[in-house]
Amino acid sequence: MKITQRLGRMASVALLVAAVLAVLGPFLWVILGSFKNERSINDPLAIFFTPTLDNWNAVINGGILQAAGRSLIVATISVSIALLVGGMGAYSIARYKAGGSTMRFGILSAQVLPPAVLVFPFLALAYTLRVNDTLVAVTAAHISLVLPVVTWFLIGFFEAVPKGIEEAAQVDGLGKFAAFRTVVLPQVAPGIGAAAVFGFTLSWNDLFYALILAPGNAQTLPVAIAGFNTFRGVQLGAMCAAILVSVVPVLIASYFIQRRLVRGISGGSLKY
Amino acid sequence: MAFRIKMIMPLVALFLVAIGYPLGYSFWLSLTNYRITKPGQTEFVGMAQYQALFDNAAYWEALIVTGTFMVIAVSLELVLGLAIALALRRQVRVRNMTRAFLLSPMFITPIAVGLMFRFLLNPQLGPLDLLLEKLNLSYDYFGPGNAIFTIALIDVWQWTPFMVLLLLAGLESLPRAPFEAAKVDGASPWLTLKSITLPMLSSVLVVAVLIRGLDAMRVFEYVFAITRGGPGTETQTIQYLIYQTGIQFFRLGQASAMAYMVLAIVLVFVIFLFRAINKEARR
Repeated sequence: MKITQRLGRMASVALLVAAVLAVLGPFLWVILGSFKNERSINDPLAIFFTPTLDNWNAVINGGILQAAGRSLIVATISVSIALLVGGMGAYSIARYKAGGSTMRFGILSAQVLPPAVLVFPFLALAYTLRVNDTLVAVTAAHISLVLPVVTWFLIGFFEAVPKGIEEAAQVDGLGKFAAFRTVVLPQVAPGIGAAAVFGFTLSWNDLFYALILAPGNAQTLPVAIAGFNTFRGVQLGAMCAAILVSVVPVLIASYFIQRRLVRGISGGSLKY
Repeated sequence: MAFRIKMIMPLVALFLVAIGYPLGYSFWLSLTNYRITKPGQTEFVGMAQYQALFDNAAYWEALIVTGTFMVIAVSLELVLGLAIALALRRQVRVRNMTRAFLLSPMFITPIAVGLMFRFLLNPQLGPLDLLLEKLNLSYDYFGPGNAIFTIALIDVWQWTPFMVLLLLAGLESLPRAPFEAAKVDGASPWLTLKSITLPMLSSVLVVAVLIRGLDAMRVFEYVFAITRGGPGTETQTIQYLIYQTGIQFFRLGQASAMAYMVLAIVLVFVIFLFRAINKEARR
């Protein structure tokens, strides 16, 4: 018994070490690659080399930062709208059972709707309204992407708020909306933060909508990164740097919400 | 107007505009021969696009490719995710840092993951091939017969963390009593896992697998970044085929019909998911 326990412990540590290495390996390769020059990038095993900032200069001058700026604009607008509209709706659904289970089912379905169903109407519409290849088209599509997810997230967090608190506030003479705003909202602030970060990541990471709706002048960051999709070794270092520009902000932001994600994703059914 | 209605009105309105309208529009598109290059010549063709799909070999092949991908990726993610979640559960030291590292892949933009692995696995530029070469081995990651498997493994790299996240939460919310009783009775770890942990975790497992499955159905970025559907059409997933049909060939009517058929499959999954979530919520 003792021996099997010890073996089990060793196996689980070995698994975790292997998993961490498997995750970190590619990251490390990208970080190294972003500082390699043309010659050392053709030697994939080189760990010691003369670092260069050429790739980072290429990224800064090559429009990647502008693309990141566009991604930031799209994500901020779509997440803000989703939080405002979805937050009010989620409260009504969680507290007053508005729309019943049909509403919940609709929101869940909208979350997993294949993007391929919605993208062509957005494209055709964008052509008609002459907003194709603009951020307007991408933002509209991203609202349809982010809104159901953020709403679903917030339902789970509103349900966790004890019911008595807004009743107590209403006894104190606050209206229902005022009770929601001043008493309930502060309670779910961590949930709102998690929903905001998760929604932001969803928009920031999206390639499919952005590629179809704005492939040219209004490229978002993932579309710009996809533009490095060539076998010319010259661009590999710059691609690594561009990947880091996209990855680092989300990794930092997501670190703070990891635990709260569970409640959000499961719509409150899984408490953590 | 009641307060609850006032609060939900903006959501319903935005849903109808941002999702309901495009949903209806794409259904209308699927009943026409709409081409973005010839918008003036759009004709209503009824169910013709759907009928054409039944004879479209590429469409059926893409469904099979996507299904194969889903099964390989999600089952590996489930097994690996469960193993990692169990290991994290009994971990004593550096817990927070390990968890943060292990969860990180799921937040990265999938196109970056795709490109990263395209070059990591590249025979000239990637380290993995060189290491294999030193062992006198060689493997064509994106060659015929292998490519779909490699794409699935990339998905495993990125999305096993999602399984870990949900399963770890499920494990940590289980009551302790049955486990202590099993320990007292001297049950082996394997027996404990099989007859206590897994049954108690079953609804979480179902939720996690369904969410991952639905997500895997939309796989696009890895294919776009690496194989572009090749070799041949071996990795042409449904989302990629729809993209090709709509964007390369501008056949929005045909592409919308394809998407609508996928939607029907998705809805079946969603019904199961909804039930599983409600079941877990009542627990």
